[in-house]
Amino acid sequence: MTENRFVLAMIAPAAIFLGLLVAYPVALLVYNSFFKVELIAPDVRAWVGLQNYIEALTSSRVRESALRTLQYTCFALLFEFVFGFCAALLFNAIADSSRWHRTIFALPLMVPPIVAGLLWRFLLIGDIGILNYGLVGLGLIDSPDAIRWLSDEDVVIYAVSFADIWLTTSFVALVSYAGLTNIPRELLEAARIDGANALKRFWHVTLPMMRPVLAVVVIVRGVDAAKTFDLIWIQTQGGPRHQSEVISMNIYQRMVRYGDLGEASASATLFLIVMILLAVVAYWKIWRPAND
Amino acid sequence: MIERKKRDVGGTVINIFALLLVLSYAVPYVYLLMTALKPAADVQQIPPSFFPNRITLENFSTVLATPSLPAAFANSLMVAVLTTVLSLVLAVPAAYVATQYRRSFTTLFLLFALVTRMVPAVSLGVPLFTVLKSLGLLDTTLGLVLAHTSTAVPLALLLMSAFFEGLPKELEEAARMDGCTRFQAFVKIILPVMRSGIAVTALFSFIASWNEFLYALLLTSEKGKTAPIVIAEYNSVYGLAWGPMTAAAVLYSLPVILITLILQKQIIGGLTFGAVKG
Repeated sequence: MTENRFVLAMIAPAAIFLGLLVAYPVALLVYNSFFKVELIAPDVRAWVGLQNYIEALTSSRVRESALRTLQYTCFALLFEFVFGFCAALLFNAIADSSRWHRTIFALPLMVPPIVAGLLWRFLLIGDIGILNYGLVGLGLIDSPDAIRWLSDEDVVIYAVSFADIWLTTSFVALVSYAGLTNIPRELLEAARIDGANALKRFWHVTLPMMRPVLAVVVIVRGVDAAKTFDLIWIQTQGGPRHQSEVISMNIYQRMVRYGDLGEASASATLFLIVMILLAVVAYWKIWRPAND
Repeated sequence: MIERKKRDVGGTVINIFALLLVLSYAVPYVYLLMTALKPAADVQQIPPSFFPNRITLENFSTVLATPSLPAAFANSLMVAVLTTVLSLVLAVPAAYVATQYRRSFTTLFLLFALVTRMVPAVSLGVPLFTVLKSLGLLDTTLGLVLAHTSTAVPLALLLMSAFFEGLPKELEEAARMDGCTRFQAFVKIILPVMRSGIAVTALFSFIASWNEFLYALLLTSEKGKTAPIVIAEYNSVYGLAWGPMTAAAVLYSLPVILITLILQKQIIGGLTFGAVKG
């Protein structure tokens, strides 16, 4: 067997599989998005051109859910970043004795999202949510029903992200920690000899060295947070009054509850394009400059 | 001497902070365990208590007595095992040639896999529903395995490529000198060398499938339902049955957590591998 044939034979099964189960469905998604087509009878279809896209872009419910996805993603990412990076710095400061800390800290990482969602619903819900009793105990709020996390329309989109923050701060922390341990000691030592204090060393040495790692974390976590479905679904199913409905949930509802395959496909296509564009832009803007 | 003492004080403060942080992250899950061990009637008491007054397994026996849950666990296990096997069979050879025999089309292939990782599950789930429906594979184990494998393959490809990256090319050449064909060299020499990398990748595929929710929700309805779907139904159908629900959540999540704790070093290595190599 020649070398090229060997390479082809080894790669073909995976390529064919991804072609049939990723590329073909995505093509079908885009195709469906140009038709008026119902889920119960996908063979009956009428070409409507860009009608589905116009409807998706002008629907206030789609627009609001897109905006909410952005709010959710930014809020979750901000806290995951602050907590995760601080944790990594702490672990790095105590170096070798941080092994057990890291082990326990990694725990939420393997908790299924559905369980994390259930757990946080239980912590936040109405009269039995223990979080509010804890806040009363600390004197932060007056009574356990002062904040109705999951039923207050203004708060709910942030409240549902607590589970996300809890679940994935460890990812940020562990990746950042691995990045921190890769910074050459001599570099920090040299800066110290040059008279840079701890803050300056952090700003001028640690942060620039961490840039590619942090970029990867932002991209991976940002994309994941924007795709969130299960975590919010199990906490609120998008309620109250759609106030925690994010874009993937909106697409799901449009397809399953309203059976509108055409419009669901149009929104899903737009979502897909935005995600890929964002990832590409993030890759070029944040990651590349640090490499050269 | 004083300098030294100052350092120790600083170290202690940092240690305390690190400990507090770690504990605050562990507390929610511990509370879940505690709740599952309470008598069902105490679970919803007002005000709630952190620790159970009396430890009992009644929530667990309630859950295991419902016929839907054990069947769903069996489905989850079946789907996760088949997904793991299928994604390894597809991804390991592909990742091997993509890193060891670089061609322009292998690079393109890896890039495609990377882009696939960005595809939102819902965007793929919508058309997969119609594809599986026309094949008669809705609500079947095979259908869900195919769906899960479509996300597991790109993940396995990227992980395995990172592992193969460090493999010296001489290994295969030496095997070929001894009369092996390329394929024999791959099966007999390369695969055994890579077994820890393959194990990590297998574990990741397994966990991803075990935890997956949206495809299972979209593509199964009756007999194909997996554990997270049944647990989520507890959430809405039985509304207030928090006791059995927490027990089901513990049964569903504890095995994965225990595996993680046992193999934590390899898993964390695998998780941070791609990201840190930049």
